[in-house]
Amino acid sequence: MLEIRGVSYAYDGVEAVRNLSADFQRTQLVALTGPNGSGKSTLLKLLARVFPPDAGSIAFEDRKIADWQPKEYAKRVGYLPQDPDPTFPMRAIDVVLSGRAPFLGRFEWERETDDDAAREALALCDAAELSDRYLDAMSGGERKRVFLARVLAGRPKLILLDEPLASLDVSHVQQFSRLLRDIVTRTETVVIYATHDLNWAAAYSDRMLVMQRGSLALDGPPSELMRPEVVRDLFGFEARVVDGWLVPRLP
Amino acid sequence: MLLLLVALLIALFAASTFGTASVSWRDAIAGEPTARTVLFDIRLPRVLLAALVGAALASAGVTFQTLLRNPLADPFILGVSGGAACGAAITTALGLARVPGVVSIVAFIGACGATAAVFVLARRREHTDPTRLLLSGLVLNALFSAIILIAFALSPASDLTAALRWMMGTLFGATWSDVLLLFSFVTIAVATLVTFAGDLRMLAFGEDDAKSRGVDVERVKLIGFAASSIVTGAAVAVSGIIGFVGLLVPHLIRLIWRRDYRVLLPLSALGGAILLVLADLASRLTLPNSELPVGAFTAILGVPFFLSLLRRSR
Repeated sequence: MLEIRGVSYAYDGVEAVRNLSADFQRTQLVALTGPNGSGKSTLLKLLARVFPPDAGSIAFEDRKIADWQPKEYAKRVGYLPQDPDPTFPMRAIDVVLSGRAPFLGRFEWERETDDDAAREALALCDAAELSDRYLDAMSGGERKRVFLARVLAGRPKLILLDEPLASLDVSHVQQFSRLLRDIVTRTETVVIYATHDLNWAAAYSDRMLVMQRGSLALDGPPSELMRPEVVRDLFGFEARVVDGWLVPRLP
Repeated sequence: MLLLLVALLIALFAASTFGTASVSWRDAIAGEPTARTVLFDIRLPRVLLAALVGAALASAGVTFQTLLRNPLADPFILGVSGGAACGAAITTALGLARVPGVVSIVAFIGACGATAAVFVLARRREHTDPTRLLLSGLVLNALFSAIILIAFALSPASDLTAALRWMMGTLFGATWSDVLLLFSFVTIAVATLVTFAGDLRMLAFGEDDAKSRGVDVERVKLIGFAASSIVTGAAVAVSGIIGFVGLLVPHLIRLIWRRDYRVLLPLSALGGAILLVLADLASRLTLPNSELPVGAFTAILGVPFFLSLLRRSR
C-alpha cells in the first residue's frame, strides 16, 4: 500500500532523512521511534505531502504520491502534526468537521454525511461527549482525542500521527495506545505514529521503526527491539527487560 | 447574517437622517433643494462610504488574523494602513491626486509593501510571534508617519491639515465617485476572499496541516494577502487611517458566532460596515458645531479591547 524507496530530504543543506526505504501493508500499527532530531517528523511530513522528497520516491496504492491530485490524496491519508492548534476558539465538532474539507468542492458546505462521519469519528475516539465543548476548555488528553477524530473523519487508509502521546500522563498514554490499536483493527488502516515511549509502543504496535540520523536503524516486530544489547546500541542506555518491559539500569 | 443585514440598513438610515443640519427625507424627495443637497450629495455618499470602509477594514482584519494565525492582527496595528496612507500622501504631495484611481493604486502599493515587511519581520516558523508582530507594526507606523509629514513639508503648497487627514482618518467630504471606486474594490476583493474561504479557514490550523489536506498554501496566502492589501489600500485612499475596526469587529463577531473563516468573513464585513457607520454618526453628533475625526472614535473603542486581547494572548 505504501512504498518508500531511497527517500532523502534536507533542510537548508542539513540532511534530515537519508536514503530511507520501507514497505507498509494494510492493517498495521507502526511505531516510529528514535532520538530527537533523528528525522521522524520529517519522514511523516514527506508521507503527508507537506513537502516533496529531494531524492527517491514514495508510492501510495501503486501510484507516486507526487502524481496524486492533492485533494484526492488528502481523502485517503490523514496527518496530525505535533502541536495542532486552530488559533481561535472552536467547538470540538467543528474541529472534527474541518477534517472533511478535502471532500468539499469550492463553494460546498458540509452535508449530513459529513456530519455523520464527524460524529462517528468522535465516537470512535471515545470523545462523543466532547462534541459541543470548546477546545480551549479541554485537557491535553481530550484535545488529543478530538484531533485524532479530526484525522479519522476523512476515513483515511493511511494515518500519520506526530507524537500523539507527548504530554499525556501515564494512564492516558495507555488509553490512547489502546485506542490506536482498536482503530487499526476496526478500520483496517495503517497507522504510523512517532513516539518516544518504547514500552507502550512495544506493548501495542505490530512493528517498530527506529530512526537514527535520518536513516532506518531497525525495522521489525517489537521483540527485535526490546533487547538490552539493541537498546544500548540504538538509544545509548543500559536496561534490562522484565516481563517484556524495558527497565533502565540506574548508575 | 440576516440580523446584521437589517441592523446595517437601520444604521444606514439613521446615519443619513441625523446630522448637524436638520433636513427630512420627505423634503428631499419632494424636491426641496437644500434637503436634496444635504441628503443626496453630502450625507448619503458619506454614510455609504463609511459602510464600505468599515467592511473593507473588517474583512482585511479577519483575513490577516487567519493568515498570520494571530488574534492581534489588524491593518492599522500591522502598519498596512500606514503604508497605504504613506503612498496616498506622497501621491497627493506630488500633485498626482487629481488623476482618478492613482491614489488608490499607490495606496495599494504602499499597503503591499507594508504587508510584505510585516511578513518578513514578524514571521518565525509556523506562528507569527505577537511581540515581533506588534513591534514591527509600531516601527513601521512611526516610519510612515514621518514620511507623510516629510511629504507634506516638502510639497509646494504645504498643508499640514491634509497630512493630518491621512493620519487621523475622516470621512468628511465623501463623494459619489469615492463610493463607486471603493465599492468596486471591496466587491472584487471580498468575492475573491469568499472564493478561497474554504482554503483560508484551513490555514488557521497551520501550514503543514493545510498542505496535508490538499490546500495550495502558497497560492492561498498570496491571494489572501493581496486581497487584504487591496481593500486596505482602497479604504485608506478615501478615508485616511481608521484604526482598530479590523481588530474589533472580527472579535466581536467571534463572541457571538464562534465559527470558521467562511462565516466570519461575510459577518465581519457586515459588522464592520455597521460599526463605522455608527462611529461616524457619533463623531458628527458629539459636539454641536464641529466634527471629531472618526479614527479617534474607533481608537477609543479599540484600544481597551486590544489591551484585553494582549493580556490574554500567549
